[in-house]
Amino acid sequence: MGGQSGPTMDSGDFFDQSEFVPSSKSNAPSKPVQDRSSSSSGNEAGKMVVGNGSPDSYKVVFIKDNVSVHPTQNASERISGRLRLIKQGASLFMTWIPYTVQGAARRGTSIMKSTEKDRNLYTIRAVSLAEMRSIRRHTPPFGLQYVIIVLTSGLAFPPLYFHTGGVREFLSTLRNHALLVRSNDDSNVYLVNDVQDPLQRSLTSLELTEVTPVSVITPAAEPPPVVTKEDDVEPVPEESITSSSMHTSVYRQGVRREASREIINVLEKFSMVTKFARDTTAHLFGESRFLGNSEMDLDRAPMRLRNDDASKSNIEFQTLNRPQESNSDGKEAVAKGEDETHRRLTGVEKEKIERGEKEKKEEKEEKKKSAEEEAATNVGTFELVDGTQNDSPALVWGRARPPPLGHEEWATFLDSEGRVVDPKALKKRVFHGGVEPNLRPELWKFLLGHYKFDSTYAEREALVALKREEYKVLQTQWKTVSEDQARRFAKFRERKHRVEKDVVRTDRTIPFYEGDDNKNVDILRDILVTYSFYNFDLGYCQGMSDLLSPILHVVVEESEAFWCFAALMERMAPNFHRDQAGMQAQLSAVSKLVQLLDNPLHDYFKQNDCLNYFFCFRWILICFKREFDYNDVLRLWEVLWSHYLSEHFHLYMCVAILKRHRRKIMDEQMEFDTLLKFINELSGHIELESTLRDTEALCLFAGEKGTACIPPGTPPSLPVVEVDAFPMSL
Amino acid sequence: MSYAYLFKYIIIGDTGVGKSCLLLQFTDKRFQPVHDLTIGVEFGARMITIDNKPIKLQIWDTAGQESFRSITRSYYRGAAGALLVYDITRRETFNHLTSWLEDARQHANSNMTIMLIGNKCDLAHRRAVSTEEGEQFAKENGLVFMETSAKTAQNVEDAFINTAAKIYQKIEEGIFDVSNESYGIKVGYSTWTASGGTGGGNTSAQSGGCCS
Repeated sequence: MGGQSGPTMDSGDFFDQSEFVPSSKSNAPSKPVQDRSSSSSGNEAGKMVVGNGSPDSYKVVFIKDNVSVHPTQNASERISGRLRLIKQGASLFMTWIPYTVQGAARRGTSIMKSTEKDRNLYTIRAVSLAEMRSIRRHTPPFGLQYVIIVLTSGLAFPPLYFHTGGVREFLSTLRNHALLVRSNDDSNVYLVNDVQDPLQRSLTSLELTEVTPVSVITPAAEPPPVVTKEDDVEPVPEESITSSSMHTSVYRQGVRREASREIINVLEKFSMVTKFARDTTAHLFGESRFLGNSEMDLDRAPMRLRNDDASKSNIEFQTLNRPQESNSDGKEAVAKGEDETHRRLTGVEKEKIERGEKEKKEEKEEKKKSAEEEAATNVGTFELVDGTQNDSPALVWGRARPPPLGHEEWATFLDSEGRVVDPKALKKRVFHGGVEPNLRPELWKFLLGHYKFDSTYAEREALVALKREEYKVLQTQWKTVSEDQARRFAKFRERKHRVEKDVVRTDRTIPFYEGDDNKNVDILRDILVTYSFYNFDLGYCQGMSDLLSPILHVVVEESEAFWCFAALMERMAPNFHRDQAGMQAQLSAVSKLVQLLDNPLHDYFKQNDCLNYFFCFRWILICFKREFDYNDVLRLWEVLWSHYLSEHFHLYMCVAILKRHRRKIMDEQMEFDTLLKFINELSGHIELESTLRDTEALCLFAGEKGTACIPPGTPPSLPVVEVDAFPMSL
Repeated sequence: MSYAYLFKYIIIGDTGVGKSCLLLQFTDKRFQPVHDLTIGVEFGARMITIDNKPIKLQIWDTAGQESFRSITRSYYRGAAGALLVYDITRRETFNHLTSWLEDARQHANSNMTIMLIGNKCDLAHRRAVSTEEGEQFAKENGLVFMETSAKTAQNVEDAFINTAAKIYQKIEEGIFDVSNESYGIKVGYSTWTASGGTGGGNTSAQSGGCCS
């Protein structure tokens, strides 16, 4: 599939739709990217607009056409696209945008249905050079040249095949803009920005060196030279590879081979797993829009090259730019075209109205497609991934993190009466980008479940008033306990005393809670005591103040903070039950996940009597509250609360962090004591963003098998309602 | 830093009795009234000298709340010493000692040295447990007893060091086999040599070497 190697395009060619052009055509003013539907199509909207002469201008410094990804061993399924290096200010970004169906069609190439979606899935949108760890080039004497790009997170893109040569040119362009150093170990490996956080570096090496190999996909001509580390072929000058090589029939074969300690090599293999991981994800997480897979969906969250304020940002990436009028490619293309119409930038109002409709349409479309998808995945190479067999880092194919969700963009999620039209899209947006601090007070109420997504402005206003009264009543219940009554009410005295003791030792270094007689500390106390009356069976337990503190800090208003906390506790309460069943369930799920995702590490823990996973206790009890600085906690929690990929993302995060340190843990022969101490001391030294990425990748990679490790009802899933032995009669 | 022995300590007792403050006073020689409450466990360490030998104390400061008991129990394993702390101004923390002791006896090794600590003795005006009661309880249960103030540092140094001295004495008497780490004692890697520990024959080697 994919645009079959066409000649270089002339401008105006269809391929150019995925191109961006300088806005010297001044009728295309800087388009703010706040509109989440901006991944629209059409000639105008499809351009990447460049602020003319502004310091934020973008410049394309390298373009290479007919660079392809080969998702399967079937040569006809390769996806061709255009590779670009874009310079913005001091930063350089790489994009690889596949050609459109129509574009390919014009070239007389038929597009296989099953791979239509792949183009979107493999698309590389604006990966910053800063995120790259290394580039391995393969320039075999026969067959195609390709490069494999490995990110600092340890994840790799699929090989990018240069059908018309140009690897050298690509590398030399990169070298002009970044520190590119040849690896001492392998002259075909170029280390990018080799001045990395040692932690990051260790991640790359730690996680991947003991990987059980999947299969190697070998680009080959006849006779097929196996391009692996072992059989490395001397690189040949690019000149010797003529452009005719692009016509060489290319096939791929899966080859089993021994595990290599060589990181880059291993990474290559992982890059092959992409398709599997993707498919799994799509199937498992009910991600109904393959076309907009979680990884690279632009239809909701337009990527920006930089996290500029939305209104200032004037760049958009477009991928599937097919004007529907030229749509003649059959059913799928038609549907797709309609899709694109919906994605078109049509103004906020219209967008809002259309969103629901569009979602429905996409879902319908996807139902139809998932069957095809399944068939496609069963073809060869990619069934190799058996989660239990792989000591795997999963793959996250590159994507720039969108900036935090701000007010303007938030408005686009609401209909005219204030309902969130597409909660899933919102959650996804929050999952990937987080929320701007000044939007948190409002958005957290939704994420926590205090506000319903389908409530209107008016309904919420009413709710706030109602709940304020309710809170007052609850508070009065204990505030009116007389001294005389308290004397006969030991449980009350004890609870109040505990709360009072604990609030004065909760986050007192945060300005919000700092200093003597801080009224916020009093509010913290009042909310917790009130909660212990609201949920008398549970009462107060240590750890709750840690959970409440950021909520009050963000929400500020007492009653609202109380109800947000109460909503959170609907999910978290089992963490604090006396029998600790909720904690046990989660710890045991982590154990199963490690067994699935890192069997050697699991065995190690088993041998060393560490299978109770108590060293993860604090992580889970209070959702990593003590492991990150305050602001990172806020960021992390909104990601967790989005419940986007999994309600149990925090459990995968435990695995991600353990995996990151697996080598150290095993090399140093840590036992329960030393391990506990080691884990404790990681506090404050865990880098959030890369951990989130690792976790996301793991979560995707684990797929259904991961989900199966976590029994239903495991917190923070909402508990199954039990029949009460003492029915309420009010 | 090299040491002749490493002793694992665990601090237990009800929430709010001053466990973390005792640890901080001992390791950092300061009193910090405002510190985050302990979730799970925290660690501290300090070198002391007994019989001219450097000894490293690795101290586990546990969370006191009842609901976390099950996890706290897992920390007893391999502790050579325990500081069982109550608050002299809060009677209930004294009343709970029995249950703490039961836990300790059940989950720690039987030779663990337990020091009973009545903390907050600077708050004598609010005293709810007399010194005599503390002594009595200690005597009945075979514990060493001491009243301390993490705030004024009174007796804090002694509480930790006396416990270590007791443990050291047990090593000297051969009660502990220091080659068995389940007693909560590790022999250091230094040039320090044990002066004739009966159970620790492997420590007399000149280099100290590997003593696992």
